[in-house]
Amino acid sequence: MSRVFDELTNFARARSLFILHYCTGCGAIELPPVMTSRFDMERLGVSPMVTPRQADILLVTGYVSIKTLKRVMLTYEQMGSPKYVIGICSCTVNGGMYWQSYATAKRLDEYMPVDLYIAGCMPRPEAVISGLRELMKKIEQGEANSWKEYYRNYDYYLGNQQHLFGDQWQTPVDVIGEAEHYGLVGDGTRGEHTALLEQVQHPLKPLEMRL
Amino acid sequence: MRAENYQQINHPPSHAFELNFGPNHPGIEGNYALQVQVEGDTVVQARADGGYLHRGFEKLMEQRLWIQNIALVPRICVPDPSPMEVCYSMAVEQIAGIEVPERAQWIRVMQLELSRIAAHLFTFGGHAATTGMYSPMFWGVADRDLILDLFEEFTGGRIYSIYNLPGGVRRELPEGFLQRVTDTLDYIESRLPDYDDLFFKNRVFIKRAKGVGVTEQAMALEYGVTGPNLRAAGLPFDVRRDDPYLVYEQLEFEVPTEEAGDAWARTLVRRSELIESIRIVRQVVAALPDIGGPLRTPIPNPLAWRVPAGESYARVESSKGELAYYVVSDGSEKPWRVHVRGPSSMHAVQVLEELVKGGRIEDVAQTMFSLDACPPEVDR
Ligand code: SF4
Repeated sequence: MSRVFDELTNFARARSLFILHYCTGCGAIELPPVMTSRFDMERLGVSPMVTPRQADILLVTGYVSIKTLKRVMLTYEQMGSPKYVIGICSCTVNGGMYWQSYATAKRLDEYMPVDLYIAGCMPRPEAVISGLRELMKKIEQGEANSWKEYYRNYDYYLGNQQHLFGDQWQTPVDVIGEAEHYGLVGDGTRGEHTALLEQVQHPLKPLEMRL
Repeated sequence: MRAENYQQINHPPSHAFELNFGPNHPGIEGNYALQVQVEGDTVVQARADGGYLHRGFEKLMEQRLWIQNIALVPRICVPDPSPMEVCYSMAVEQIAGIEVPERAQWIRVMQLELSRIAAHLFTFGGHAATTGMYSPMFWGVADRDLILDLFEEFTGGRIYSIYNLPGGVRRELPEGFLQRVTDTLDYIESRLPDYDDLFFKNRVFIKRAKGVGVTEQAMALEYGVTGPNLRAAGLPFDVRRDDPYLVYEQLEFEVPTEEAGDAWARTLVRRSELIESIRIVRQVVAALPDIGGPLRTPIPNPLAWRVPAGESYARVESSKGELAYYVVSDGSEKPWRVHVRGPSSMHAVQVLEELVKGGRIEDVAQTMFSLDACPPEVDR
């Protein structure tokens, strides 16, 4: 019975996807053509959404500088599960053009699990559309489960974030609590990095929320 | 959210509050933020918060070969990348003393002007969307795509063409290309009356945009604003006319101006510029078949090319204003220092902060789009 329901929800999920509209890098310039009449992603049931809490897909469009990455992390943790991450552009795969830049984070999947990459500098709108279709297929088959990995391996991701943002790094979201809620606590959920987080953690003041 | 993280915020006694406008906001152009203090719906204070797109370009360019930088520079300004590579090539040519063949110069002019048309259409689209009109946005993006198709055909890339080299351009134009350019321009021109009806002469738009974000001429000059934003304040300064580069001297075009200096005037200046650009491309299309000759002056092995020591300053008129490169060479395989004078950094930080002050909160996005700010170029 639950299998039937799962298939049904996956079917429905794959057909109504909201993309969080956050242009992190230069790949974002190909999104207006994708969204508007010429390539028209709405025919796939995909449309842009302005707030993270209502969005399903986090589209990381290109290089993420360290300042942006903080916001991306915050946004990612705010999104409700199930959530999917697509890395557009070579820059999210391995640093791309900016492999030696001091200001950018090189590999996105060190900081958050990624479902799908669309490589290219920059990927054409057709590539973005085919990437979205690929994601829909994965969702329908129940394979797009990267968000579960974030809970299971939270310690690893948090460690990389702390490495980049400093030991004081914390977000307002209680990831471990959420992992317990979903029953997704794995071997990698707790570790030395989460222990460090528990030590430094303090209630965030409104000003600190600005990061 | 953890329960203990909820904090009672002691609001100031009035109806004043602070709003983070961006970086994740539909009304902001690119990855950029404004911290706005609002009283009611009047903005009392705004602070621009950039740096989200910083990649350290000027440092990266010092670590790459002269020729590799050609691929890097278009990324500085994403909506209007062509002037970047042309300007950088011009700066390098000045140091190395390379003459560019005439045909390459004409092709460069065509590339620059097509890029300007595309960038202006995109800006119209964005500006319309921030005033609540979504159809012009769809039109602007769709018509810009036709220009991108042309780019794809003759340079190989939709957005980043990487078509120029120090010394000339890379490839010959495809067969029948000039005809297709003419067709596309005809089409865009035939669309302009529709744009007028829907957008430029729309009462909603005029009411929203008139008197919003006024730049006085003196203030614009003080801040170093150039391009359409300066011309909208009544000063007809255009690098293409006042310090001609490439073959602009031989071309006929006007420098449109407006007096008001507000969002509406800026958009009208862009509209007139679009028409002038179409006129320029038509002249290039008419002239190109008669101009033969090579496409580029050969440069020595680009992978071990040592540009002689020296410095140069090259400037072009991009769709956002005056764009310039200051390049210093110490005679090695890599630039010693490259400085980019981005047009947007002049008007997208302090000027934007000034302009939104005293305005209404719903005009913040509009002001930003009417200034045609380009965040990647501000941050670099
Ligand atoms: S891969 Fe290319 S287009 Fe994409 S963000 Fe990087 S430099 Fe920009």
